[in-house]
Amino acid sequence: MTEDDKDKAPRRMAVDASKRTQRPDDELVEPAAQQDAGMSPALQAHIGRQVRAVFDSVAQEPVPEHLLRLLKDLDDSGEK
Amino acid sequence: MSDTVSPSLKDELVAQIGNLRAFAVSLCGDRERADDLVQETLFKAWNNLSSFEEGTNLKAWLFTILRNTYFSERRKKKREVEDVDGAYAAKLSSSPEQHGHMDMRDFQEALDELPDDQREALILVGAAGFSYEEAAEISGCAVGTIKSRVNRARRRIAEALHLEGEADEVTAKAGRAPVVASRSA
Repeated sequence: MTEDDKDKAPRRMAVDASKRTQRPDDELVEPAAQQDAGMSPALQAHIGRQVRAVFDSVAQEPVPEHLLRLLKDLDDSGEK
Repeated sequence: MSDTVSPSLKDELVAQIGNLRAFAVSLCGDRERADDLVQETLFKAWNNLSSFEEGTNLKAWLFTILRNTYFSERRKKKREVEDVDGAYAAKLSSSPEQHGHMDMRDFQEALDELPDDQREALILVGAAGFSYEEAAEISGCAVGTIKSRVNRARRRIAEALHLEGEADEVTAKAGRAPVVASRSA
């Protein structure tokens, strides 16, 4: 496999999360994820949409009460 | 250090819980265990907030804590119990109500079948919105390794779902115009 060598992905330096909390529009291929010479952009986009759908189906659920309570309890105990 | 936690940092923490849950489910395949994992992650994060530099990538920091927690527990358990992965596939595929239609279920199965490292890379880059560099930091490996894992993951899925060479058909079926990733145009 040669994909490591192609190395065409945009060089974005790690870390500034604040700019990336929103994902690009659904219709766009994620820039970081679009570079695979062996696969058509359309197919990559299709797989990308599906992966996001699986992920989002959980990520967008309401947060369980006990997890919110945990943070609240930790917060309260810190103030005392 | 919890007495110095700023409200905005706390809000950011809360805002990441959904993403953490989704990542946890993708790692362990068990929703209950995933929530335990998130709980542990939040607990550790809270108690180590002093080591987090505000203004840097909180999301990546949290994801790192979660995956390290998961893998260190798994290493411990693997010595006792053999089959972690067997239980995995069985549990994840048994929640059809989550996935609207057949396509999605097939896809979920193909995703579950991936080797752990490939699934993790694909989720981080393809779903959680991390760059290759961020994903490499989270997984503690080289950027090139993440790239090749993502590419292998995609190919495996394409093979499992017999998608190779059908890209246009696929997008047509999905009711969308073919997507062309043009950054240079």
